[in-house]
Amino acid sequence: MRVEGTVLSRRDVMQGLAAGAVVLVGGRLVANEAAAQASAAAPLNAWIAVATDGRVTLQCAHSEMGQGIYTTFAAIMADELEADWAKCDIVFSPVAPAYRHPVYNWQFTGNAESIRSYHGLIRKMAAAAREMLIAAAADQLKVPVSELAARGGKVLHHASGRALDFGALAQAAAARTPPAQPNVKPETEWRLVGHGRSLPRRDVPDKVHGTAVFGIDVKVPGMVYAAVMSTPVLGGKAASFDEALVAGMPGVIKVVPLGSAVAVVAEHYWQARLALAKLKIEWQGGESFDDAALEKSYRAAQQSKDGWALAENKGDAVTTLAGAKHVITAEYRAPWVAHAPMEPMNATVAVTEAGVTIWAPTQGMEMTQIVVAKVLGVAPDKINIHRTYLGGGFGRRLLADFVAQAALCAKAAGRPVKLIWSREEDIKQDVFRPGFLNEVRASLAADGMPEAIHFRLVAPTILAPVSPTPVRPGMVDALCCEGLMENPYGIAHRRVDYNMLATPVPTMVLRTTGHGPNNFTVESFVDELAHAAKRDPYEYRRRLLAENPVALKALDRAAELAAWGKAAPGRFQGMAFADCFGSYLVQVAELSIENGAVKLHKITSVCDPGRVLDRVNATSMIEGGVVWGLSAALYSALSFDKGHVRETNFDRFRVVTLPDTPELVTDFLENRQVIGGLGEVGPVAVPAAIANALFAATGVRHRRYPFAADGVLTTYGKIFG
Amino acid sequence: MASFSFRLNGAPVTLELDPSTPLLWALRDHLGMTGTKFGCGIAQCGACTVHVDGEAVRSCVYTIDSVAGAEVTTIEGLTRDGPHRLQEEWIKAQVPQCGYCQPGMIMAAAALLKAKPHPTEADLENSITNICRCGTYARIKKAILAAAG
Repeated sequence: MRVEGTVLSRRDVMQGLAAGAVVLVGGRLVANEAAAQASAAAPLNAWIAVATDGRVTLQCAHSEMGQGIYTTFAAIMADELEADWAKCDIVFSPVAPAYRHPVYNWQFTGNAESIRSYHGLIRKMAAAAREMLIAAAADQLKVPVSELAARGGKVLHHASGRALDFGALAQAAAARTPPAQPNVKPETEWRLVGHGRSLPRRDVPDKVHGTAVFGIDVKVPGMVYAAVMSTPVLGGKAASFDEALVAGMPGVIKVVPLGSAVAVVAEHYWQARLALAKLKIEWQGGESFDDAALEKSYRAAQQSKDGWALAENKGDAVTTLAGAKHVITAEYRAPWVAHAPMEPMNATVAVTEAGVTIWAPTQGMEMTQIVVAKVLGVAPDKINIHRTYLGGGFGRRLLADFVAQAALCAKAAGRPVKLIWSREEDIKQDVFRPGFLNEVRASLAADGMPEAIHFRLVAPTILAPVSPTPVRPGMVDALCCEGLMENPYGIAHRRVDYNMLATPVPTMVLRTTGHGPNNFTVESFVDELAHAAKRDPYEYRRRLLAENPVALKALDRAAELAAWGKAAPGRFQGMAFADCFGSYLVQVAELSIENGAVKLHKITSVCDPGRVLDRVNATSMIEGGVVWGLSAALYSALSFDKGHVRETNFDRFRVVTLPDTPELVTDFLENRQVIGGLGEVGPVAVPAAIANALFAATGVRHRRYPFAADGVLTTYGKIFG
Repeated sequence: MASFSFRLNGAPVTLELDPSTPLLWALRDHLGMTGTKFGCGIAQCGACTVHVDGEAVRSCVYTIDSVAGAEVTTIEGLTRDGPHRLQEEWIKAQVPQCGYCQPGMIMAAAALLKAKPHPTEADLENSITNICRCGTYARIKKAILAAAG
């Protein structure tokens, strides 16, 4: 029986939340305590405060995990406010309604949202602040507002040559009623962002000198450390441990049972680790599954009549395919992977009568507040969160499980505790990006172009752990189906069926969300269709995008930049296209085969995110993303045995290193109308571009990645294993 | 517990520790040198790279008992007078993204430049094996080659 499931898209989620929301843009225009405290200055609204010395402070609602927003957010503000860039500061905001995502109404960092969702909001906040400063100047100078302009941290009266510093106007401006509809200036008047500009990143010097403070570097008075060991079988619990074995060990303060894990709190981290190894923990429960059992469950779901939900249905793909002469079918696989950011999960928590203080590298600010409030049984408003730089995130730090563990340890020990997961725990306790099993069929018309396409995707949910509303089997997980649904290729009949697999392994979003695995399917398959139609893959995509001039421009620019079709003898190219996170991306991989091993020469990327605010940083995002995509395409995969993940460190969970990195060529177009994301975009089309280049080189179609697991050796892999 | 003496960034230090304590945790917890990062604990990622008697080592597997009497240099003590030329090039090339691995990268690169002042690209590929999950390798190469002149 087919279940016509409820489609739970992010749009639904955000509309549901927005309906009950009281804080929309208007509410943010009212100054709050945080903005006032942060700089001991006059807050013009919840985001921007101006001190009497003219220094401007912006509250950074998002996490800085490498995407550069600590600089670009400040630049957007300074530009719109007409502030003096040398006098602008930025601080991590508290967790408060004023800093929520303007659409989802929830404070988090992810989904390549920073710029695309906060650009407009920061401009509005800054425009409002500017108008308040100008109005205060008009009062003081007794001239109409229309004769005044803000520039370089001053309000200028051109007619008289008089100028008032923002600092001198701050108090009077802060006392004014914020404008209901602040007017942002036209793009042509941007001075700090856009138009190919770039600013040196504010976080870079500290990161280069070793002085940047990540979560793991936090130091608070009286702080002690916790090390954690979790169940060797997923779903298991600690049944017993022998505390007496560690009671006399140096530094040991407390053993804290955490359900699926046990922690030791000690004066120093290594003391906690030594004690943890001696505890003789007995574990019980959990499910002892392995790869074969997982594979069986994917196949059972694929073949079952039950559990399917209709994610998209345009035209009539089923009937068209049934009556078609030329049908092509293929099946693609994406692997299980771990987030594994360089900084393992950690958090520092102090629990006192007065409340709870958290220092954490988190992407999930509100999630942290809610989860810790729940586990400690305190009110959310008693929880004060200090945010640090993040040593990568990739989605993992949206969850607050590691902060909750630290909170429980701090409560049990009666001291502030910094809890640090070993790398092994970081992967064992990960909430993984699941494997995708994607079956696709298409029919070709006489001209070789597809008339109908039908995807049947089996994958566990990736949305559930980060969704404010329940996500259950039988429903459509819109994140899992991203890239299959709303595909911009002009195919008349399109259908996407989705079967949410329940697995014993916890699953969630990871950088590229559903776009990564699904782009591999779509773009490999389009290449297969082009081959079946005996057409050049670039020309084939041009025809598929014929009705989309903006996407066509990106495709053409990539072909031009990569010199498509003109590779040197012995070199082979593959192309892939993506429409993801509000941006278009086209990538061309160029490789050769040397003694049976693949040598990657070059990845060319062309991205159209509508507007590029900082060119050097945008290039970072795409090129770093390409390298992330290479790890995914070439090496990274998890396997399971006896109920646990086998690859728990970088020796077996392999990622790309410097010698694997080919030449990277990147360009941007700005033709899309709405500003798009960049942080998750760069990796998306890499696996398919490489698979397509491999096919061009060898005639072998690799329908699963990482390619190392499909028998593909890289020149580096061949040498270093 | 035992007592271990060595020189850290030019100054003598003595610590009372379990001899199995990795140099990494001695530096971070006991000496407040948090520029040296923990990434894997098995010498795979290089985020913890420091110099022991001028050579790059991965301090997460280098136990405290093996540094007795040695000269240990961390990112905080890489130079005594202003930034190292690698740090200047790192800023010029805007290398870091999340930045967590970068002190280890710079320490690895500094040891390479000391041994080979003018490395080729192949030298880089053979000696810089640290992991950066943000994928900043292309700019790392650029910065090292620029620093080498």
